[in-house]
Amino acid sequence: MIVLTIIIGCLIGVIIGVNAPIISYTYSSYLAIAIIAALDSVLGAINSYLNNKFDMKIFLSGFFGNAILAILLTYLGKKLNIDINLAVIVILVGRMFNNLGSIRRYYMKKF
Amino acid sequence: MKKGKLTIIVTLGIITMFLMALIFIQFKTVEKTNLSDIENLRETELREQLSSWKTKYQEVNLKIEENLSKIQEYEKNVNTEQESSELLSKELEQTNILLGKVDCIGEGVVITLNDNDEYDITASDLLELINELNYAGAEAISINGQRLTSRTDIVDVGDTIIIGGQRIADPYEVRAIGNQKYLTSTLSLKDTGFIDKYSNSGKSVKLETSERVIVVKYNSQMKIKYIRESVAQ
Repeated sequence: MIVLTIIIGCLIGVIIGVNAPIISYTYSSYLAIAIIAALDSVLGAINSYLNNKFDMKIFLSGFFGNAILAILLTYLGKKLNIDINLAVIVILVGRMFNNLGSIRRYYMKKF
Repeated sequence: MKKGKLTIIVTLGIITMFLMALIFIQFKTVEKTNLSDIENLRETELREQLSSWKTKYQEVNLKIEENLSKIQEYEKNVNTEQESSELLSKELEQTNILLGKVDCIGEGVVITLNDNDEYDITASDLLELINELNYAGAEAISINGQRLTSRTDIVDVGDTIIIGGQRIADPYEVRAIGNQKYLTSTLSLKDTGFIDKYSNSGKSVKLETSERVIVVKYNSQMKIKYIRESVAQ
């Protein structure tokens, strides 16, 4: 059920994204970091859903909060002339691998 | 519980959709952005480029100015060199004329002396005439095609006269280039002038004036063996 929903969501999202206008290159780095943060949140949500620990408030706040925090950190990094976005990416990607590992283990146990 | 699960699933679906839309927008942005396109460059990058171009512009400008000043210098040099070479060649020409190294032409007089029955012309007569001519400001003198230089000797050897090592014979034609008036007036002074004096003593002297007296060049080599320039110690 959850897999099907995600696939449908992905397809509709792809259609919308392809038809949407492109944004300015200036802001694309912020969007990229936001996407990484959101992806991490979604994977975390899937993981917690599978483990029956899902909380809507935590998910939504995490989804938007992480994205905004990542953007703000990137902005700060630019102002300080430090690549903070790299650190953000390292943390988020690490968490993504953790979540993916949990999801994988869940399905390994199931089948 | 079933309803809660459905809500969760729908929320997840919407969020996923949202996320995928963002991802594809980003894909498109990255794909379509030409990195060298000025409109898409960041302000700081543009500023950097601008400043670097400004620096380059200044450098090039400086070079241009340098080169221009060099060119001016060279032109000046060329001009002065031309002037000096012109001056030098003029000087050389004058020196050559005065030394007798070139044929020359100009206004002047031709004096012809002839031997006659009573009297033979001697070297001292010629010397006196030449002295008179020099006194009158003659610039170039030749006797029977022998150009007189500062070192020319005029001597009697037996019955003949030798000028500059060359034997010459009657009639003696003395050509002198110089101011015609001075030459003629000096030579034809009443009684004391060369013409009168010689005519009176029975010698054949004839004075002609000409606008185009040709004096040939000195026809042997000028050799220097012992003299050299004295340098002040």
